[in-house]
Amino acid sequence: MLKKSKKTNAEPKVSTSPLSMVDRTIIGDQIYIEGNIRGEEDLLIEGSVKGRIEMKAHHLTVGSKGQVEAEVNAANVTISGKLEGNINATGRVEITKSADFNGEIKAKSISVEDGAYLKAVIELEREPTQKTVPLGKPETKAPSEPAKEPIILAGKDSKGN
Amino acid sequence: MAASATDLSQMDLNRHSGLEVYTSNALKLFMEHLNQHPQSKVLDVGPVCQENIRFFANRVWKHYVCDLFIRLDRYIRKGDPVHQIWKELDYDPESFDGILVWELADRLDEQDVNRLVTLCHSMLKPGGLAVVMVMGDQIASSETRSFVVGQNYRIYLRPQPHLELPLRGRQNRDVLSMMAPFIPAKSFICRPGFMEFLFRRE
Repeated sequence: MLKKSKKTNAEPKVSTSPLSMVDRTIIGDQIYIEGNIRGEEDLLIEGSVKGRIEMKAHHLTVGSKGQVEAEVNAANVTISGKLEGNINATGRVEITKSADFNGEIKAKSISVEDGAYLKAVIELEREPTQKTVPLGKPETKAPSEPAKEPIILAGKDSKGN
Repeated sequence: MAASATDLSQMDLNRHSGLEVYTSNALKLFMEHLNQHPQSKVLDVGPVCQENIRFFANRVWKHYVCDLFIRLDRYIRKGDPVHQIWKELDYDPESFDGILVWELADRLDEQDVNRLVTLCHSMLKPGGLAVVMVMGDQIASSETRSFVVGQNYRIYLRPQPHLELPLRGRQNRDVLSMMAPFIPAKSFICRPGFMEFLFRRE
């Protein structure tokens, strides 16, 4: 069922943290929605949703029981359940180890836990360009240095087998 | 509040404390190749880790991730035929400038390795590069590890305890043989038996 997790004032807020405690609507695990969702508060989906989700200033969470097939526009997105579709996030996308995601992600930043079931195309807002260290000048503090010269490829391994 | 790049680096450093680490010349050359293509597309077959997503997403046009390690693990656990994982690599021919195969081949039998190589050959653009690793006897273990890319092409081998995959223990010559459709471009010995390979599609 649809629930409000907390009552606060009615001013719209921009959600910036996955742990934000602003107003949040919950779509319970016995709910199936087909169609478009637009919201001005955070949303937690534990049920099934198919369609389009628009909540550009807010945080969408797909809970561990959630199953979503949708195009998503949100400020931040956290996925712990199943989501198939494309995400366009102005902020952060967080994918936990219980997530199953298939689709495209465009976001400012991303975090992914080891163990997430992922098939994705990822485009992030670029950080400032990083310099490439020229080949042949490895770090002096490296505990293990690879060979500087390529070895000749031949049908033998390093043991001569 | 979002962590800054410096904060993240320190966090990564803390997470990597105590892990095996080396500097990857193959990855350096791979990135130099990609830098020549302003709209480069790269496929990483996993294991997925956020450091690598961040690394590649900041350096290539489009970063594709299809974690075949975790799919392989799930198919094996369920007792499903492993060859079904190949339906996941449903990308168009000549889609990618580079493919990161890492040590996936070492987790597959001969038949599936051949399928992997055929698919990689098809998905790579002409002139595209594939990165392949072979861990060798001294490092290889049944424990699966992700190749976490750090600063200056440092690679940290982070255990993935949630993955239980078989290890075939391939050697240098086995890799060269299985990658026969490609041109061997470069190879580097990281440790005795632990090698990185770059293969180029003609």
